[in-house]
Amino acid sequence: MAQSQGWVTRYFKAFCKGFFVAVPVAVTFLDRVACVARVEGASMQPSLNPGGSQSSDVVLLNHWKVRKFEVQRGDIVSLVSPKNPEQKIIKRVIALEGDIVKTIGHKNRYVKVPRGHIWVEGDHHGHSFDSNSFGPVSLGLLHAHATHILWPPERWQKLESVLPPERLPVQSEKESLHGSP
Amino acid sequence: MSFMKLKAISILLTVINFINNNNKKSGDQGPWWQSLHRTMLRGILGKTFRLVGYTIQYACIAHCAFEYVGGVVMCSGPSMEPTIQNSDIVCAENLSRHFYGIQRGDIVIAKSPSDPKSNICKRVIGLEGDKILTSRPSDFFKSHNYVPTGHVWLEGDNLQNSTDSRYYGPVPYGLIRGRIFFKKSCS
Repeated sequence: MAQSQGWVTRYFKAFCKGFFVAVPVAVTFLDRVACVARVEGASMQPSLNPGGSQSSDVVLLNHWKVRKFEVQRGDIVSLVSPKNPEQKIIKRVIALEGDIVKTIGHKNRYVKVPRGHIWVEGDHHGHSFDSNSFGPVSLGLLHAHATHILWPPERWQKLESVLPPERLPVQSEKESLHGSP
Repeated sequence: MSFMKLKAISILLTVINFINNNNKKSGDQGPWWQSLHRTMLRGILGKTFRLVGYTIQYACIAHCAFEYVGGVVMCSGPSMEPTIQNSDIVCAENLSRHFYGIQRGDIVIAKSPSDPKSNICKRVIGLEGDKILTSRPSDFFKSHNYVPTGHVWLEGDNLQNSTDSRYYGPVPYGLIRGRIFFKKSCS
């Protein structure tokens, strides 16, 4: 009787030790370093999900790069949706704070991005629920920077931070490291 | 809670654990060069790995606690007087935010909309869909607005001395960090 109790107690202790070590480390890694997510929708075509509903891309989301909220124009980022806090949306950063953007379909023709905010747009204009609908978003909603496509294997690639030339800000206060007149 | 604070707490706990472990005596018999070899290699290398391992473990547990359960915060500023005075210690819990249980009248901690690295501490006056008086105190004509979906309207209790939603507009729900449920006055 004493022997079987010893076995159960030892097993229970080992389980607790593993649980309290493995779970917090895994959760912290997924929250702070990197995680993986499937992209749904057509708002970022043709960069993401070019096949529509047949095949959804799976992207690598890098939290560590945005821990200080530093993003560049052209980055593809995921953020908490301002209209629905349960959902995350993935869009491209078009303008940083202080820039003046020419909007597509927004109620104002030109918008100056306030301090601490960014302007995001999907690549598929017209089929995208982005800053043209809800205005500039606060940097506090930034979730991660999408760096690579991991699945399907024929679409393995590093996502480049390019800004389409027609979407360059009309006037920018901050100079970024890549591409800006 | 910033990541630097987590690292500091975890290093402190690791050092305490380390000192405790070292106080246990270990009797090693054998030739002097053998015990020296054992001490040097297994001792230092093993202890370093264990130190790093414990640090990572405590940092991760601290992160999970602050992110999903709650923590202790010090508030500064006059915008919530007389409810919360300057340099009061408050306890915030994060469960309401994850289960979307924030109500009107709750005092919440949120990321500042204009500076994501700093936090603000205000009261929730309106949830999405509510009709809010949005005119500034100095305006003569009162104006009303509806709080858009996915946003909340925050105001400080000290209305004369508070920069809140009356100045920067409704705040997205995603910026809320936690709800304050306990205050200990320190002044």
